[in-house]
Amino acid sequence: MKVQLFLTCLGENFFTPVLRDMVMLLERLGVRCEMPEGQACCGQPLFNAGFQSRTIGPARQLLRAFDRTEGYIVAPSGSCADFVRHRYPELFPPGTPEHTVAVDVAQRTFEFTEFLVKVLKVTEVGARFPHTVTYHASCHILRGLGLRDEPKQLLLGVRGLELIPLAEEETCCGFGGVFTVVNPEVSGAMMGAKVRRIEDSGAEYAVVGEPGCLMNIAGGLHKVGSPVRAVHLIQVLAAQE
Amino acid sequence: MPVISDPARAAILSSVRSALGRGEDGSVPPVPASVRMPDRIPGTVDAEIGLLCEEIGKLGGHARRLTVADLGQVLDELICDEAIKKVTLWQTAEIKALGLAELLSERGVEIVSPYAGKGALAGCDLGVTGADMALPETGTLLLRSSAKRPRSTSLLPRVHLALVMPSAMRADLDEALAEAQDEGHFVLITGPSRTADIELTVTIGVHGPRALYVWVLER
Amino acid sequence: MGQTATHIDFRANVRAVEPQMPASVQKATNRFLGTRASVVGVFGEDRWQQLRQCGHDLRRHTIAHLDHYLELLEQRVTGAGGHVHWARDGAEANSIVLEIARKQGVRNAVKVKSMATEETGLNQALIEAGIATLETDLGEFIVQLAGVAPSHIIAPAVHLTKEGIADLFRQKLGVEAPAEPVALAAIARARLRKAFLAAEMGISGANFMVAETGTLVIVSNEGNGRMCTTLPPIHVALAGIDKVLPDMESLAVVLKLLPRSATGQKMTSYVSFIRGPSKSSKEGGPHELHLILLDNGRTRVLADEISRDTLLCIRCGVCLNVCPVYNHVGGHAYGSAYSGPIGSILTPQLLGVGIAGDLPFASTLCGACAEYCPVRIPIPEILVHLRRRVVEGDRVDGPAISPVVSAAAGAGAAALGTPWLYEFGSQALKVAGTPLSKEGWMAHLPPPASRWTDVRPMPAFGAGFRDWWRNRTPQGRRLLWRRRVLAGAAAAGAFAAIAAWRLTRKSGRD
Repeated sequence: MKVQLFLTCLGENFFTPVLRDMVMLLERLGVRCEMPEGQACCGQPLFNAGFQSRTIGPARQLLRAFDRTEGYIVAPSGSCADFVRHRYPELFPPGTPEHTVAVDVAQRTFEFTEFLVKVLKVTEVGARFPHTVTYHASCHILRGLGLRDEPKQLLLGVRGLELIPLAEEETCCGFGGVFTVVNPEVSGAMMGAKVRRIEDSGAEYAVVGEPGCLMNIAGGLHKVGSPVRAVHLIQVLAAQE
Repeated sequence: MPVISDPARAAILSSVRSALGRGEDGSVPPVPASVRMPDRIPGTVDAEIGLLCEEIGKLGGHARRLTVADLGQVLDELICDEAIKKVTLWQTAEIKALGLAELLSERGVEIVSPYAGKGALAGCDLGVTGADMALPETGTLLLRSSAKRPRSTSLLPRVHLALVMPSAMRADLDEALAEAQDEGHFVLITGPSRTADIELTVTIGVHGPRALYVWVLER
Repeated sequence: MGQTATHIDFRANVRAVEPQMPASVQKATNRFLGTRASVVGVFGEDRWQQLRQCGHDLRRHTIAHLDHYLELLEQRVTGAGGHVHWARDGAEANSIVLEIARKQGVRNAVKVKSMATEETGLNQALIEAGIATLETDLGEFIVQLAGVAPSHIIAPAVHLTKEGIADLFRQKLGVEAPAEPVALAAIARARLRKAFLAAEMGISGANFMVAETGTLVIVSNEGNGRMCTTLPPIHVALAGIDKVLPDMESLAVVLKLLPRSATGQKMTSYVSFIRGPSKSSKEGGPHELHLILLDNGRTRVLADEISRDTLLCIRCGVCLNVCPVYNHVGGHAYGSAYSGPIGSILTPQLLGVGIAGDLPFASTLCGACAEYCPVRIPIPEILVHLRRRVVEGDRVDGPAISPVVSAAAGAGAAALGTPWLYEFGSQALKVAGTPLSKEGWMAHLPPPASRWTDVRPMPAFGAGFRDWWRNRTPQGRRLLWRRRVLAGAAAAGAFAAIAAWRLTRKSGRD
């Protein structure tokens, strides 16, 4: 099986180790990876900020990059996968060649945990991570893609890992893309609430499946000098401690 | 007759039509079938009455089942428990047939006409009504209004007593509303009045009656 | 509160929120969500989802044929002896109420809580006309006494403490008031009872209006809904045109959804069904009934196919309860009658994006509201749609942003859509960020990125995956080589050009 790596702009600029882990893990599972060079950003930040007409340019470019490729397109992010899957077909008028490409790419695009559980049909990936861990359910993974159980199934398949429930697990962490910049006070309050819940859980690690949430929560934990470390779900699944 | 020359009316309807992108047309599709939920299947009459009483109890109301023979004794208890001195009653045939006014008078309670002024009614301790329908699932009573069923009887007195016949049970709200829809005025009553507006502490008895008694009269 | 003609600055409002507001708001919202979960559990989760879909479909059908149902409603209400008036905006609605009051010589009125009357600022208009008007919902009565705005659609006084309310009663009502909810409610009951019995006019909204029968439906827990619509001789109801429903079957669906979603009750204590004025003085009830149908921007909402779903709302308030933003700021921050997620989509449409353009951005698009909405309004969808109206403008309204932001978005789009520019940018940020980073974090960045770092540090820029990837494959390494050669050639060429230029300058000077 072959997949196309969808790096995502946040993944690429802030989480190179996570992307490397994603590749290592996929190869361990017998999946061949390719990385289309022409990819940049899917355009979601522009779209969600209201600049819908300006999203077309980035969207076209992403489609160009993935168009003549084969296989599933896999991203370490639910929001990017959600955007490509649900919005890309809407960006181009039905009947146009661009629309056809958009529909094709949309259907092939998956968030990483979704790909593992629903396509590869695995929940145990040979990982070992002997620590206590608590999971924050990112909004796009949970509600955008409907993945409530899948990430946790994968975590439960990790040897030595103890999963501690997080109070208010499904409450937004306050990232929301442009929200952090447009309403920093509320964003900070929501982040603070999430950080407190994470600390209250008593877990050593906070696990997050979404780069945006991870930036926010990791920053929040660092700011209060918390011993809790925030990591991406992929890092846990790739771990072989 | 609506005033067709009302400019506000014309402007609003015209705005609605142009917003919806069409002109004035006569045909409107019926409400789609997809909005119908399957009806609730009721239990036996006995079970339904039990459920009604249970739900009313949960809401802080006092519900019980009794026979006509018990009326006297139960009224004694009510008069004592709620310090009833003045009562007003619905004038329906059912209430009259039960002889409630007489039973109450015998117990030294003053009968106030339901057609007395608002002030007099507000001074009543007890308002006695029937209940045209009852919905066990939610503990709800449906009371119609008419000359014999004045609106204030179940509203102004401090305590409200509703006498319910087993035949009043209805399976679901849909059924009840369909039956009552042509009425000029009716009210659904689910428990005594309440509020949680002060620090979310539930307080029973705000503007409506402070206590609700529901007696289901079985043969 | 009334319509505001000034721009709603959400961020400024947030900064002005009292420190105890979030805690009191969360106490209420958590309670309501808890009781809601309980009754939905009893109702059955699958059955509930089915009911939500029914609610959505019937509301959609109603809005799609709004003119038909409004005309039918008018016909039936009039046939039952009621008077129907139409008001294009809040000012018109208020003047209709004042005219009715003037004709009957009304000097005092009692009011049931009504969002429509908040929208039009009716209370203020009545006071200015010398008509004493008392809010009779306990929470509304309290905030009216305190002279503050309500902070939650369902629990208006939730941000006030019992001690604060006791003080208020002592000051404004001149009575002994213990700081104890039951006693305080009893004081309010006594005071309001006098008002109910003496009032010359009762004013209400309408939770729903059933077109087929011409019935107004008013829900209440306290009984003031019944008092105001039964005791005074005149009843005036003001309702948005979006409150109409086709028939009683539709009403049954909505009545099952509303109390459960709002407060976790199976049914409110009272639901009044009012069809015209009372036909008999023996029955009691008002001998005159007026229904005022209010547009006030709703037809503008109707005009847009996507945001039209805003009108499905049945005013349950669950979106407020579940919204993390609302839970941190309370209702006042939204600067208008409607707050929370529904406020964020309704207010910008009623008042325009020039005034309320901040509100669609007062959300992280988390989607919790849409998950809970009993009539399945796609609120995040509408928020994003309205954001476009704010920044790019559409047929209906906008844009309403500064040219600087617009230009920045253009530049951003170019960078994000052009691979070489994007990659160059990633590397440039990495280089530029190096002096600002310590142990993998950047604690301070210049504006506007300072808005991020003022709250928490940003991870250091660390683009490097592509080169790592390219190094793994022959084609990748060849690509890297080609780039290095190109970069080298470009650097050499630039060096040569500068050297040549300096030489010619030098020789030119000699």
